[in-house]
Amino acid sequence: MVDFDATFFAQIVNFIILLVILGKFAFKPLMNMLDERSNRIANDLDSAEKTRVEAEELKAQYSKQMEEARNEAAAIVAKATQNAQNIEAEARTQAQAEKDQMISAAKQNIENEKQQALADVRKQVITLATEIAGKVVSQKLDSAEDQALVAKTADAVLN
Amino acid sequence: MGNAEQASNEIIHYLPQYIDALGMTVHMQTIYMIAFADLICVLVLVALGSGAKLIPGRAQCMLEMLVEWLCGLMEGNMGKEGKKIFASFLLTLFFFIFVSNEIGLLPQIGGHMVHFTSPTNDVNVAFSMAIMVMVVNYLVGIYRNGLGAFGHFFKPFAAMLPLNIVEELAKPITMSLRLFGNILAGEILLIILYQMAPWVAPDAWVFFSLCVGFLQAFVFTMLTIVNFAPMFHEH
Repeated sequence: MVDFDATFFAQIVNFIILLVILGKFAFKPLMNMLDERSNRIANDLDSAEKTRVEAEELKAQYSKQMEEARNEAAAIVAKATQNAQNIEAEARTQAQAEKDQMISAAKQNIENEKQQALADVRKQVITLATEIAGKVVSQKLDSAEDQALVAKTADAVLN
Repeated sequence: MGNAEQASNEIIHYLPQYIDALGMTVHMQTIYMIAFADLICVLVLVALGSGAKLIPGRAQCMLEMLVEWLCGLMEGNMGKEGKKIFASFLLTLFFFIFVSNEIGLLPQIGGHMVHFTSPTNDVNVAFSMAIMVMVVNYLVGIYRNGLGAFGHFFKPFAAMLPLNIVEELAKPITMSLRLFGNILAGEILLIILYQMAPWVAPDAWVFFSLCVGFLQAFVFTMLTIVNFAPMFHEH
């Protein structure tokens, strides 16, 4: 049962041959594949991490741009409102000035017209008075009848 | 020759044959079974290993699981360098012993025409592998560490030298006898069980022996790793 013989050496030779064959054709390709797989997984994880970081950067950039755009829009609206208010105030001031000017011009005109009218009236009164006086004088004016006539004429003229 | 040995010689046949060219006797049954185990190892492992795909199938997954488990043990004990140097050696050792242990449990074909036995039930096979492990251990140890490879003989102090030598000699003997004894005993018991109670008991024993076969392959490989480990720590 425990007989040592050439089987001992046969097994050594056999093992060495088996080691060479399996090492070359089975374990080497398998180990290479396992290494390749672990490298690949590591690379994939790395690139996924990189992509994630990039995406986060892009997101932050995008948010920043959005924020800037929002601020800019708000500034533009504020500026436009300010401009509109300025324009409105200016227009109001101008309109007020024009109104005042027109009113004062109208007042001036009215005054002028009034003066003109008064002057015309006066001129007419003088002409009429002269005319009346001439008519009265051309007749006898010393009687009471005459004076009544003058008064009557004056009334007629003035009315 | 004791009774037990006589009984086992009748049960287990090694088919010893004298070969004139060598001037020595060879156990032909063991040689046939070694060839059969080699054939299975080469066919299965080369098919799976050389055709290894990045996305593995089921069989490749099983193989990868075993290989990565053993490689993990190697890396844990011998570091990355040790794993790189000895991965093929240790994997070959494991798979050869594993397949050898299990083929002895195959049923006989055609009466006694083809009789499957484990190559590892022959002490020559177990002992040759244990000796090979020790020789490789010293060769690589001396190559790496010079005479420092023998440093552990004088530890913890020089007076321990005789005890350390005994321990060192005991290593291959215990390794080989553990493997050989377990497998031979398993096969003898299986045959005896078939003769005594040919129904459930042998089947249960076959199942147990399948586990023992795996366990012994692992134990042998693990002890080899443990033997190799110090040469990677003595820098």
